[in-house]
Amino acid sequence: MSGLAVAAPEQTPEHPTAASRRRRRGSYRWSARAFSLPAVLVVAVLLYLPFLWTTWISFTEYNGLGSPSWVGLDNYRDMFADPNFTTSLRNTLIWVVGTITVPVSLGLLIAVLSHGMRFGSWFRLPFLIPYAISGVAVGVVWRFVLQNGGGLSQALDALGLPGADSRWLLDAPMNTLVMIGAAAWQQTGVNALLFVIGLQSIPREPIEAAKLDGASGWRMFRHMHWPMLRPLTTVVVGLSLVASLKTFDIIWVMTKGGPGRNSETLAVTMYEETFVTSAYGAGSAVAVFLTVVTFIAAITYLRRQLSTERTV
Amino acid sequence: MRLRYSGAVAALAASALVLAACGGDGDDEAAEAPGTVAFYTDKAAWEPQFLEVSDVSESSLGLGLDFTGYSDADQYSAFIRQAFRTDEKPELFTWHTGSELEDLVAEGLVAPTTDIWQAAIDNGDVPEAMREYFTVGEDQYCVPMNAAYWVMYYNKAIFDEHGLAEPTSWAELMTAADTLLAAGVTPFYETNILFSFVWFQTLLAGTDPELYNALSSGEASYTDPGVVEVMNQWRGMLEAGYFGDPGDQTTPQDQLKNGTVAMINFGTFLSGQLNSVDMVSGTDYDFFIIPNVNAELPQTSLIFETGPMCTAEEAENRDTALQYADWWMSEEAQTAWANARGDVSFNPKALVNDEQLAALNEEASAESYLLLERYFEATPVPVLAAALDGFSAFVTNPGDPMPILETIQAEADAYWSSQG
Repeated sequence: MSGLAVAAPEQTPEHPTAASRRRRRGSYRWSARAFSLPAVLVVAVLLYLPFLWTTWISFTEYNGLGSPSWVGLDNYRDMFADPNFTTSLRNTLIWVVGTITVPVSLGLLIAVLSHGMRFGSWFRLPFLIPYAISGVAVGVVWRFVLQNGGGLSQALDALGLPGADSRWLLDAPMNTLVMIGAAAWQQTGVNALLFVIGLQSIPREPIEAAKLDGASGWRMFRHMHWPMLRPLTTVVVGLSLVASLKTFDIIWVMTKGGPGRNSETLAVTMYEETFVTSAYGAGSAVAVFLTVVTFIAAITYLRRQLSTERTV
Repeated sequence: MRLRYSGAVAALAASALVLAACGGDGDDEAAEAPGTVAFYTDKAAWEPQFLEVSDVSESSLGLGLDFTGYSDADQYSAFIRQAFRTDEKPELFTWHTGSELEDLVAEGLVAPTTDIWQAAIDNGDVPEAMREYFTVGEDQYCVPMNAAYWVMYYNKAIFDEHGLAEPTSWAELMTAADTLLAAGVTPFYETNILFSFVWFQTLLAGTDPELYNALSSGEASYTDPGVVEVMNQWRGMLEAGYFGDPGDQTTPQDQLKNGTVAMINFGTFLSGQLNSVDMVSGTDYDFFIIPNVNAELPQTSLIFETGPMCTAEEAENRDTALQYADWWMSEEAQTAWANARGDVSFNPKALVNDEQLAALNEEASAESYLLLERYFEATPVPVLAAALDGFSAFVTNPGDPMPILETIQAEADAYWSSQG
């Protein structure tokens, strides 16, 4: 900048000329492009190209060896006709509903209860710790707890409570529900943290005004906190929605999608088709379907929420 | 000027990053050190045993193994398939016989080993009967990495406690199971992951071995009355409480040691796993060949498995790798391997230290036994995947087998029709 500043007074002491402004803008644009080039290349090479390749493979029959052979829409036709795909789709929907309702509402509850509370951060800490654990480790721990004769069964048996003989991970849809519980155990803390940030960012004035008007408790939350939390709720629900659609690790570790594929989600079906049966075309068709569903769900949800916020 | 300069620096840095990412590391591209063969396997847990044999080959052949193990079979399969598309084709790698080997041969990816096989057979290092499992078209491909028979392991203390002897007929086996059941002991191990096919294999091979083979080759249907009957027999056993909890993820060796189950229908590689939990062969555990369900059969069906060790046709050190494969079949290599693993060997000349395994090695080659390839290798991959899912559901919730059999058959129809 100093170089330009020294050169400029010779031409126009008061204002830079249009030509020099264009030069500055042009050179700024080029340097901006150059700085963003590595990131663009990384995204193109690691995201766009693999997606285009996956889309191409989904129209072929390919076992990972030799050359893919074009089969048109056959993989998609087979996918929609496969009863395992229907089960997988049903389980994915259960995951979406479960992940959006349980960890989000629990996170909100913990945030509201601890907000303004003395030692509130200490109250939230135990809920946050599981988020530091990887999904695979969470799956391993909960598998020990929930397997037949595992920690939960032993505890129920020792306490003389019913359910000690329940086959938590074997029977559908119970296995999906308990795995959602395990995922909620991990996810609730971070949702609570996000909601606390939202609560702390609410301006004091309208809250104090509402207090003066006699609002408190549930009415205060319903009419003041909740509407003002809407932007953050949009983010939390949006993140949960996308995370639930691509759930894989915890299921793979706890049940491998079984027994008999009864706890599979779309992400597990994609893995199963691609890497277990080496049907890369069929697996890619599921991957493309999942990507399109996730994209549409996320865009639709965010558009609706953001347009509602603007009207509010 | 500074903006232009900074733009140029950014472009240069970006180019450098891209070049660095695309360029290879000099060390990585260095040729394999002389005297080693790059070896890949999905049996990562067997690394100590492979390295034990590698020590022997280093002194006798001047070649050792550069070991890379995968613990996840699916990831390993994907890795090997992708490796063929790179310049680093696998020199020596473990694989599967059956349709998986045929897939590699169809693309011309594996080196033929016909000469190595002929020499080994002539030298008495491998039974002629094993050749067919490594034959695709006219040629042989790969060499056997190992061999195992599927037998019934039992906890000797439990058998002694209940006055049981090794059964010599199916009726005796069922009587032993009933005795154990009455005493509150679970007779047999069962699982709903991966090895869920084992009892289907045993019951069908012991009832109708021709149907067993016909099912594997697509000449019979999963809905044939013989298969349905076997499934119903299995269902009866499941409902009678003969099997342990299929959802119990305790290892089979621990289940046998702890007395959770009295018997385990398993491959002879279980010996090594039992030894690893301090059970002593012949003292704490033993095994017997599972009698036929159908006593009228002229030969006793004995399931065996063998995993191939292959070399990529275009591997950089193809000839060296084939030299190692040739040595692997020798008496010296197989003696080292069988004793390191605590398992049998395909080489009849191998000196197996474990007396029970050595006796089985000898006994299995007798005329009175009919060797049948394990269901896992004998069944094409897409059909196997459907079958494993179906059997897994069946052992978890025994019921009408027909829906499961129809699902497997639909997959089999699709597969065999695609094979022309």
